[in-house]
Amino acid sequence: MPQAQVTMEVRKVNDGVSVIDVKGELTAFAEGVLMDAYNQASDGGVRAIVLNFEGLEYMNSSGIGLLVTLLIRVNREKQRLLTYGLSDHYQNIFQITRLDDAIGIYGSEEEAVRAADTT
Amino acid sequence: MTARRNEAYRTLAELSVPSEPGNERLAMEEVAGTVEGLGLPERTLERLKTAVAEATMNAMEHGNHYREEAPVFIEVSASEAELSVKITDEGSGPPAFTQETPDLEAKLEGMQTPRGWGLFLIKSMVDEMNVTGDEGHHTVELILHLDDKTSTSERKEASDGRTAP
Repeated sequence: MPQAQVTMEVRKVNDGVSVIDVKGELTAFAEGVLMDAYNQASDGGVRAIVLNFEGLEYMNSSGIGLLVTLLIRVNREKQRLLTYGLSDHYQNIFQITRLDDAIGIYGSEEEAVRAADTT
Repeated sequence: MTARRNEAYRTLAELSVPSEPGNERLAMEEVAGTVEGLGLPERTLERLKTAVAEATMNAMEHGNHYREEAPVFIEVSASEAELSVKITDEGSGPPAFTQETPDLEAKLEGMQTPRGWGLFLIKSMVDEMNVTGDEGHHTVELILHLDDKTSTSERKEASDGRTAP
């Protein structure tokens, strides 16, 4: 099985919010990387996870499935999932799949973190 | 649609990709390069690339079971009114697509698997999708209407109140 063509760095921006910087491809091969990043991002009782997709090069249906799996975990932990940096095309896919109903889409990290802090 | 199908098609490219994980990206970039001269709007091109990638991934995985010696064949052709991309694998029996319509709420509640978005995505990205097969092959044909600046699928979204950004 090929290695995941993706890296995910975790940044804690304040006590309640972590950002995961996604760079590369979100496909089935990214599962381990994404779940490791989520575990790291959740450390310390974080209540919101922000996915930074500015570096996303490609996402397929398996990647969408991974986001659904992540959402299930986030909901179970009573956290929130937000995102910014999605291209118009992937925003369109979020709308078609209705992922945008469950994952807040914002135009910048500042907006996403502010939304995470105020709700 | 019958009138459209009787129009003269010219073949733009015949490609093949080995059935190796990740090669759907190769397929979509090859097809994107092939149709460059048609002047598709960027948004339509992105949608075509996603549909080609999903159909190729399905062909490699479920049709050819990732056997490297079994390539996926791709034929790109166009008439004045339509662009057609045919993606053929060496599978037998009906093509394996999850037929269940994905529902995010059902998935979040554990009533559906988190996966199973492929067919739904393809159908959402192109104007028509036709599936044919015989004892040794499956073919998925993706069709875009070229005579409209906005594709049928995009207009459908807009009328559903799901206008893309």
